[in-house]
Amino acid sequence: MAKLEAKLGMIVDSVGQFFSGKDQLPWCDSDIIAGCEREVAEAGKQSSDELLKECLLRLSWALVHSKRPQDVQRGIAMLEESLPGTDDPVQQREKLYLLAIGHYRSGDYSRSRDLVERCLMIAPDWRQAVTLKKTIEDKITKDGVIGLGIAATAAGLIAGGIAAAVSRRR
Amino acid sequence: MDSSSAPQEFDYLFKLLMIGDSGVGKSSLLLSFTSDEFQDMSPTIGVDFKVKYVAIGGKKLKLAIWDTAGQERFRTLTSSYYRGAQGIIMVYDVTRRDTFTNLSEIWAKEIDLYSTNQDCIKMLVGNKVDKESDRVVSKKEGIDFAREYGCLFIECSAKTRVNVQQCFEELVLKILDTPSLLAEGSKGVKKNIFKDKQPQADASTSSCC
Repeated sequence: MAKLEAKLGMIVDSVGQFFSGKDQLPWCDSDIIAGCEREVAEAGKQSSDELLKECLLRLSWALVHSKRPQDVQRGIAMLEESLPGTDDPVQQREKLYLLAIGHYRSGDYSRSRDLVERCLMIAPDWRQAVTLKKTIEDKITKDGVIGLGIAATAAGLIAGGIAAAVSRRR
Repeated sequence: MDSSSAPQEFDYLFKLLMIGDSGVGKSSLLLSFTSDEFQDMSPTIGVDFKVKYVAIGGKKLKLAIWDTAGQERFRTLTSSYYRGAQGIIMVYDVTRRDTFTNLSEIWAKEIDLYSTNQDCIKMLVGNKVDKESDRVVSKKEGIDFAREYGCLFIECSAKTRVNVQQCFEELVLKILDTPSLLAEGSKGVKKNIFKDKQPQADASTSSCC
């Protein structure tokens, strides 16, 4: 009996985990973002272009990992703006990766998957990108399952309604 | 040691942090520990993390392991992730002298500045012992450093997986031995509706050396 309950506990846990959508991507607090903002402001006062670029990349990292949707959107906008002017392949794929994170967090999974696939075209065995791709795909599958569940429930309700109507007529 | 990355129940949750120069093998070490894999890797962007469930010292544990970028350009970002860590793993490459000297020049100072946890356990890890012929930092130097800074010490190889499990196990055992850290770790434990009726026999699955 105890064993059965332990098993049940595990199932409840894993189902909970499945639907709560916990992924293994880091989060970023607002004070970290504030710190990055300060650095950008400081760097803006100096003449080094390189330093400013580094500070901006850190800020975009922090923004797309934020829990607040408006930060994520701002991060996406910043990255999209700077991407066309980025020639260095390493910086390019970093920005693509961060964009993919941003779109993942804002729920645009197909866009996120396209971006992460572009990263993997540049660097096929890039571990962080591989992990992100798997996370996105799991999420898409999960949403599919939830969608099916909703459809099945709806179908069940309609069938029940019809059955009730039929039995009432009799 | 019983281990898995699938979600399961646990008695304590600990936050571990990995720091050290770029290219010393922090991500490889973590991957070697969490998924028995080893591969050459691109530098980590910002911060990455993995969760691993283990049974050590008769306790079921959830380890949240934070892997930071070693590159200097991410340092102000990674420094924010020191807070609240119960264990910090400082990694160097036994075949690169600069990665060892930077431990005292940079990494120990970073810990003093950013770690919020007085009792936090530090572990010094010399990685890449599989390249014995290229070694430039001796084991004795590692031991001396660990003694001076009050850390645990181990040499390992993420590639051959020698001492990888032991590295995390020793760190966690020491955390389990420290009452203040243990108290912190139990705060994060989620409620389990079946917890009160857990069979006692399941607690004996750990095999510690």
